[in-house]
Amino acid sequence: MIAPMDVVLKLSALLFGIGAFGFLARRNIILMFISVEIMLTAINISLAGFSQHHGNLRGQVLALFVIAIAAAEAGIGLGLLIAKNRIKSGADVSDLTKLKW
Amino acid sequence: MIFDLATPAFYYMAGASVVSATLAVTRKNPVHSMLWVLVLFMHVAGIFLILHAEFLAAVQVIVYAGAILIFYLFIVMLLDLSGEETRPRFSKHWPLAMVTGIFIISLALLVQVEPRIAEDPSPGNLAQVGKQLFGPFALPFEIVSLVLLAAIIGAVVLAGRRSAES
Repeated sequence: MIAPMDVVLKLSALLFGIGAFGFLARRNIILMFISVEIMLTAINISLAGFSQHHGNLRGQVLALFVIAIAAAEAGIGLGLLIAKNRIKSGADVSDLTKLKW
Repeated sequence: MIFDLATPAFYYMAGASVVSATLAVTRKNPVHSMLWVLVLFMHVAGIFLILHAEFLAAVQVIVYAGAILIFYLFIVMLLDLSGEETRPRFSKHWPLAMVTGIFIISLALLVQVEPRIAEDPSPGNLAQVGKQLFGPFALPFEIVSLVLLAAIIGAVVLAGRRSAES
């Protein structure tokens, strides 16, 4: 079966929108990171779909790079969260307002 | 004619992905959110299988669901988030976030695909991916390894600062 490309792209846009909503609306830093992961997964679906649509493997290779960057982002972000947790306990973004005008 | 199982499986996985992603961003308990994201990643791995990206499906399960998500779960359990369920889960600007999300989702209405059938519908085997990865994509591959190294060093420096000072 060749999955229909328009459905794949629509699914990708839906998941990306859900992830963007989660990133903007949630107050918990961990859940904001998880929303970013949902957005990256949506991008990966798009890339794999394009890879199938064009019959070459560039999309799949790019999706592997996206997964690697997601791992790096998770490591740095959660390291920052651990460092922040020593100053003030909890994972709420409303604690981090020093740079807000 | 053989009954085509892949088409209903694809639509099931697409629907289940959307439902589990929605539940993941709206649950109050972070651990429940993580488990819904796990469900999402498993269904996305199934979508990758249907898209003939077998290696990507394996990486999705092993690296994403197996490593990254478990890392997140460890952090949730390391940090004491006992007061999380009493706090409001959304910031007070959540309708704006909803508008942004719906705006991005509405991009799905603009999708127009030229009907182009690929010559080789199943390019996803591991040997071909490996040849691409170490052939034309060798330089980006090395750069990604450097990025991961920088991320490892950065995470150690950020998370281990207290023990270095004391």
